[in-house]
Amino acid sequence: MKLIYKIALRLSLFLLPLLTLWAVIFYFTMVREINDEADDALEDYSELIIMRMLAGQPLPKMNEGSNNSYSITGVSPEYAAAHPAFSYHDAEVYIPEKEETEPARVFTTIFRDHYGDFHELQVAMPTFEKDDLQLTMLRWLVSLYLLLLVITVGTTLWVFHKSMRPLYTLLGWLDSYVPGRKAAPVPNDTDIREFRRLNESAQQAVDRSEQLFEQQKQFIGNASHELQTPLAVLQGRLEYLVDTAGLSEETMLELSKMQGTLSQAIRLNKTLLLLTRIDNGQFPESSDVDIAAMLRELQQMYADIYSEKQLRFSLDIPGSFTQKMNESLASVLLSNLLKNACIHSRDAAQVSISLRDGLLEVANGGDAPLDATRIFERFYQGSKKEGSTGLGLALVRAVAGYYGMDLSYGFSGGMHRFRVRFSQP
Amino acid sequence: MKILIIEDEPSLQELMARSLAKEQHVVETASNYAEAESRLADYSYDCVLLDIMLPDGNGLRLLGELKAQDRREAVIIISARDSLEDKIRGLEDGADDYLPKPFHLAELSARIRSVARRTRGGGRRGITLGNVTVEPESFRAVVDGRELQLLKKEFDILAYFMQRPGHVIDKAVLAEAVWGDHIDQADNFNFVYSQMKNLRRKLEEAGATIELKAVYGFGYKLVCP
Repeated sequence: MKLIYKIALRLSLFLLPLLTLWAVIFYFTMVREINDEADDALEDYSELIIMRMLAGQPLPKMNEGSNNSYSITGVSPEYAAAHPAFSYHDAEVYIPEKEETEPARVFTTIFRDHYGDFHELQVAMPTFEKDDLQLTMLRWLVSLYLLLLVITVGTTLWVFHKSMRPLYTLLGWLDSYVPGRKAAPVPNDTDIREFRRLNESAQQAVDRSEQLFEQQKQFIGNASHELQTPLAVLQGRLEYLVDTAGLSEETMLELSKMQGTLSQAIRLNKTLLLLTRIDNGQFPESSDVDIAAMLRELQQMYADIYSEKQLRFSLDIPGSFTQKMNESLASVLLSNLLKNACIHSRDAAQVSISLRDGLLEVANGGDAPLDATRIFERFYQGSKKEGSTGLGLALVRAVAGYYGMDLSYGFSGGMHRFRVRFSQP
Repeated sequence: MKILIIEDEPSLQELMARSLAKEQHVVETASNYAEAESRLADYSYDCVLLDIMLPDGNGLRLLGELKAQDRREAVIIISARDSLEDKIRGLEDGADDYLPKPFHLAELSARIRSVARRTRGGGRRGITLGNVTVEPESFRAVVDGRELQLLKKEFDILAYFMQRPGHVIDKAVLAEAVWGDHIDQADNFNFVYSQMKNLRRKLEEAGATIELKAVYGFGYKLVCP
């Protein structure tokens, strides 16, 4: 969930109970105020009636256009003693003139006349309809709530976007950042101190990881370089031993196996060096390479080398297709793709190579799709093949990456399909 | 030939010296820039094997000095850095050849021989052993005065052995040299065997005095009587 939505949601959730509480308090305060006023009026009215009655003057007519009403009933002293001298309450009163009942405020008081008789006077005065008031208040309250919400959220959004712009700038920069690629420095054009610090920290973190990346790259390169001399010594000594004759067949066989293993180590080391050099962009020179011709040549060579397997090659290649790239990298790309197809094919299997409209596809038969996300990783091998360095497809990816070519793997029709999209000539 | 080996790694230096001495070369060694400089100031050599990464200096500078003095020594650069720029730089600076580590001793001796041929101006003459001559430039092989009809790969194999007589050549190394470095150690080498079989048969039929002997489990060796 985006931060701004979270903030908006929280604001609205917070406003809801607050406004409700406020409405309740407001409602009761208002009711009390109205009742207060009504009570005062009732008290005045009842005093007028009592005074008139005690003075023997005629009592006011029941209806004087005010909808007020009153009644006087004689009560026993016991009743008088049991009830308070005056009390207020709300009641529904029937108003004959209107022929309907209306909510009213009622004032009840007990008084004695000259003769010592107790009388109960009830004065009623129609007041407001509570239901109406509640409904009106609810309506206004909801409107107020919505209005407040719109204003609050709107303001928050505006303020948020204004103040959070540096954060989004940073996020955008981080999204576009690729380790190992030269990147522009983190943009830091804000005067908000927190964001300045965040940007500086991001820059530091990126610098650090860049440095580590560089060190790691250098380490692989240096380690491989340093290995070259000991490997040369080992190989030389082995050769010297073999040349110096006088060895038994058994020893020779053993030495041959050692030589084989050593060659493998040398090849691995060379390939790592090559990968490092590709990653470091040390192949600046490029020329027009005829990819089609190179494919034909390599196919012929691999047909020779793997003649034992009796692979069935099918070629669908134009007469010529030139591409501006480094020739040795082109050879690395194509030979590793072809070789991969040859090595991982069963005997007498089909290997098809097609190059159409700049899309090269090298396909070989297989049983199940490989893990497309990992297949181009260094040393990832679905099934371990003896003698394979596990770096062939990593090299393919490195070269494709070097030239920004699209490289993909797919499995269809029982074939592993490796595709490279060259740029159109 | 008189050869100076400039190499800081003692084990490799000793091995190179021993191997070249066995081939009747006169070998001297230097382990660092200063030593190499003083040796070159005092003596002259036919060939200098120069490691460009020395503890106290860059071998390329030494090469520059040699060329500035217009010395006649042939220089073969030996480098752990198998990069094209280094190679181009070295050859531009006047080196005669460039051999990246790790290399085969047979390869080293072949390069020395080839450099020597070139400096003697005999590069075009081809290589002769026994009654067999190969001319790499024109892809011609001659046995006892008659031209031998060889396929391209057969010729490449013969030329490779002619440059490395007496050395046992590992079949994988041969495959790599002739078919390019697309070959892997674990590959099946039957394709090498069949080419070798044909080549040996053709040599025998032509009455060549040299022989490509199989070395059990390892590879082949050119034997010259």
